[in-house]
Amino acid sequence: MTEFERLRVVIGYEFLKHIRRKRLYIILALTLIAELAVLILVPVLGDGFPNNVMVMAALLSIGPSLATIGAIFFAGDAIAGEFENKTGYILFTNPVRRTTLVIGKYIACYAAVALLIILGYVIVVISLLAIYGSVPIETGGSFGLCLLYAGAVLSVTFFFSAVMKGSMSATVITLVFIMVISGIIDSVLMMTGQPHWFMLSTNGDTIATVYGGYEAFMGGMGGMGDMPFEFESPSIGLSVLSMAIYLALGFLLSLWITKRRQLT
Amino acid sequence: MSESIVIENLTKYYNNFLALKELSLTVPANENVGLLGPNGAGKSTTLKILCGLLRASSGTAYIDGIDVSAKPEQALAKIGAIVETPEFYPFLTPEETLGYLGRLRGMDGDRLKQRIKEVIKQVRLEDWSRVKIEKFSRGMKQRLGLAQTLLHDPPVLILDEPGLGLDPRGVVEFRAIIEKAGKEKTIFFASHQLTEVSQICNQVAIIDHGRLLAYDSITALKKKYKSLERAYLELTEAPID
Repeated sequence: MTEFERLRVVIGYEFLKHIRRKRLYIILALTLIAELAVLILVPVLGDGFPNNVMVMAALLSIGPSLATIGAIFFAGDAIAGEFENKTGYILFTNPVRRTTLVIGKYIACYAAVALLIILGYVIVVISLLAIYGSVPIETGGSFGLCLLYAGAVLSVTFFFSAVMKGSMSATVITLVFIMVISGIIDSVLMMTGQPHWFMLSTNGDTIATVYGGYEAFMGGMGGMGDMPFEFESPSIGLSVLSMAIYLALGFLLSLWITKRRQLT
Repeated sequence: MSESIVIENLTKYYNNFLALKELSLTVPANENVGLLGPNGAGKSTTLKILCGLLRASSGTAYIDGIDVSAKPEQALAKIGAIVETPEFYPFLTPEETLGYLGRLRGMDGDRLKQRIKEVIKQVRLEDWSRVKIEKFSRGMKQRLGLAQTLLHDPPVLILDEPGLGLDPRGVVEFRAIIEKAGKEKTIFFASHQLTEVSQICNQVAIIDHGRLLAYDSITALKKKYKSLERAYLELTEAPID
């Protein structure tokens, strides 16, 4: 039996895990609620739907972005869980490389998140077609960036899952890292006019700013008001590079750490 | 006679704590050897190194002549193991779990289906074979643990307290399954239960503080110390240099 055949087996059973877990359906529900909230609240609280389809498309990208954060909940226990719940005592005594197990888990997690993202974009496309009768070409770019962002978030989560003893701590630390620490540093760098393209939170913003940057987005929502500093929209190219680095580095580190980790 | 398990000068430190000190022993093919010792003696550490779950600080462990640390996948293909209380994915049923583990070991199709049925019957989990493991008691997980060790019919079984958590009937049934398997397989079996060990094994290795204190046939130990229990008590009470 080749390692590739084993990889297929691991992906199959890991994907089954995601299908059977409640968290997939909870994140799916949250994605739908986010999209519904945008579709209901924007015309109710504003003056109808924005005139510019790009602004509405950017607003609707909140759903798929939220689905991406689901990656953290899928992957938090991917590696840490095998050690914490002691299922590794059974799994790791099989003649399969740990790298194969980690790659299989990663692909299965990614498939589950991608499924939610695809669903999110289906809603975006249907909504835009229903409201404006057209879908901007940038939606394809937003979709690609969302998939890449999901890969980067997943890799960072896998890294923390490989390092931490418990699944819960891996999940919480990843959330804090991406949503809080990265966000704070990102804001400070932005306010002080320093480059911030390498921050994961900035990279996540490109999913919406691909439709025309912060100015176009805020302008479409009634303007930016008097801001004490200038918003510089993230460069898509640099963000792609940054996300690719997070994806590769986080994943490779999680492979290396898991391979060396012992079941005491 | 060939050797199924060879342990050479195995030493294991957990930070500064010495768990195993230059442990060496050999388990010949088709022999059933019990590994005895008090809590913290190094039994589980030894078995975990044999199963590739831990790396030795120094020394080497071989399964069927294959170095476990150098070629873990090849070595693990030869064994079926229960280490500590087995835990399984709660969202799978026993049939699915055995299907997963069997496929990882290269089994598939009717052969796998048939074998899953056989081992589930052997450990008496027929009524629970399609129930999610999240509903299982410790004893039922232990039964499933034994089923997965037998699934691929390995030549070597490495068992760490396999009777833990079982009810009295379960203990008897387990013993019978292991005794039967032991007629054609090598069994390396860690336990606190001297009765269980003496029923299943013909030889025992007694370790304490990570060192081998005795490795002999049960008959020889009984002859020297009058009983296996006395051998165990006297040897594990001995002061450590």
